[in-house]
Amino acid sequence: MSISRMCPKTKACKIFLYKPPSTESNPTLEDPTPDYMNLLGMIFSMCGLMLKLKWCAWIAVYCSFISFANSRSSEDTKQMMSSPAPRSSPIGWG
Amino acid sequence: MQRAYLLLIPALLLLLALPVSRGRYNDDFDDGEDLADFDDNDFAEFEDMNDDPAAEAETAPPPRASPSSQPEEDEDEDEATVELEDGLDGFEDSETQDQDMYSKYDQEEFEGIGDMEKTGHSMKDPLIIHTVSQVPAHLQNSWESYYMEILMVTGLLAYIMNYIIGKNKNSRLAQAWFNSHRELLESNFALVGDDGTSKEAVSTGKLNQENEHIYNLWCSGRLCCEGMLIQLKFVKRQDLLNVLARMMRPACDQVQIKVTLNEEDMDTFVFALGTKKVMARHQKELQDLSEFCGDKPKSGAKYGLPDSLAILSEMGEVTDGMMDNKMVHYITNHAEKIESIHFSDQFSGPKVMQEEGQPLKLPDTKKTLLFTFIVPGMGNTSPKDMDALLPLMNMVIYSIDKVKKLRLNREGKLKADRNRARVEENFLKQTHAQRQEAAQTRREEKKRAEKERIMNEEDPERQRRLEEASQRREQKKIEKKQMKMKQIKVKAM
Repeated sequence: MSISRMCPKTKACKIFLYKPPSTESNPTLEDPTPDYMNLLGMIFSMCGLMLKLKWCAWIAVYCSFISFANSRSSEDTKQMMSSPAPRSSPIGWG
Repeated sequence: MQRAYLLLIPALLLLLALPVSRGRYNDDFDDGEDLADFDDNDFAEFEDMNDDPAAEAETAPPPRASPSSQPEEDEDEDEATVELEDGLDGFEDSETQDQDMYSKYDQEEFEGIGDMEKTGHSMKDPLIIHTVSQVPAHLQNSWESYYMEILMVTGLLAYIMNYIIGKNKNSRLAQAWFNSHRELLESNFALVGDDGTSKEAVSTGKLNQENEHIYNLWCSGRLCCEGMLIQLKFVKRQDLLNVLARMMRPACDQVQIKVTLNEEDMDTFVFALGTKKVMARHQKELQDLSEFCGDKPKSGAKYGLPDSLAILSEMGEVTDGMMDNKMVHYITNHAEKIESIHFSDQFSGPKVMQEEGQPLKLPDTKKTLLFTFIVPGMGNTSPKDMDALLPLMNMVIYSIDKVKKLRLNREGKLKADRNRARVEENFLKQTHAQRQEAAQTRREEKKRAEKERIMNEEDPERQRRLEEASQRREQKKIEKKQMKMKQIKVKAM
């Protein structure tokens, strides 16, 4: 979308509004770390719960913290906060 | 900061979980004492052991070779707990009694009794007394048994502290950059800062935070360009893992600037300049550089540039035009801060790899100027270092004006047009087979759809008419093709 306006150099120019680049066109530019860490965290927490391995549960908590630290701000904060909480439960049970 | 506080909640949950797991061990001890009360009375004479306040568990397992005549005693070992005291006197009596008992048994009938006698005082009596240090760790009730948990929670707290510190540092660096560049940007652009949500062209006057380590700024409203997107890509100081990885392999903060130009603002050429390693990588990865700049990166020494930099260009005339005195001056003075400069009228990003081989049509291109600058400090940047990037922003503004003015002569223009035609032809040849296939499938789809339509038609009269119409159309097509073949044959002759 372009809007005409007087530019700082006192000549008429067009202003284009910012369009956030769509991630579908450039999937390689996105950092996959938060997604991988989320997945790892889920796997380890399942292992920790099923096999009753405490170290798995601890790794799951660490993975969820790393995923949170690397996440994009476009994701919901509440959703991100909901991941370390259930992953810490195997530590209590184990 | 709010997010940092929210991180503390799971840490606190973990700390609360610790006492829950501790309580279970006391129950085990209680059960042991209760069971001993109701036990078989081979050991009734040991009743006084239940009065003892501090209970300790037996650790010495009964000898595995011990015969089946000792199963009751084995059970008692696991359950009963005894304290080391002067109560040994009571045990001594039982020992002598036991010895008499054993001597009665025939050695041949029972295995291992001889071994039992040999192993001495501690093995004869299964309800043996042991010191505290031999009690297994998970049955002790002290801080030492939780060293693993303490270690892990300390690690988590360290991670959280690093997150807060790293996030704040990145934020301060971004703000310092913006403060030093704000004046220059506002004097050159009508719109400085837009988050893409508002429909009006109002400057927000601040950076968009995409991440804890990536900040964006959109500027627009200048002659000769559509807009300029500046991305401050800092290292991930908020992630402790990344901090540790950077100790092995140092990384630096980057400032990436992408200027998009209008169609009339740039002539048709492709030019790139940067460090040798980056140029080699870009030549392989980027679509336009691989197609239009086929030669190896050349040294810029001819123009007075440092040896660390290399040039990729579509034609020599472009390089001569770009490398005027002022540009050379900028580049030489700030060579260590420049990673790459890329001017292209055919920019479409990195090469696209699709599963079906080649994409069916050429990717969209845009006239773009790309700059990647390295922030000095190699990761240990301070806010003051951001001022050092200001001359580079001046270079960017100068480049925009320069590119607008640079026009190829007739020869150069012809060469450029020929290059572009060549690239397009190559592309079409490669995708010819695929495009034919795609056209074939489309035709078949059409036919099938028509047939279905005819079948679904309820009125038989209309059905018949539609069928006739489609047959006539097919006939016409066949005739047309035959005509074409005839014409080609005539021409060939």
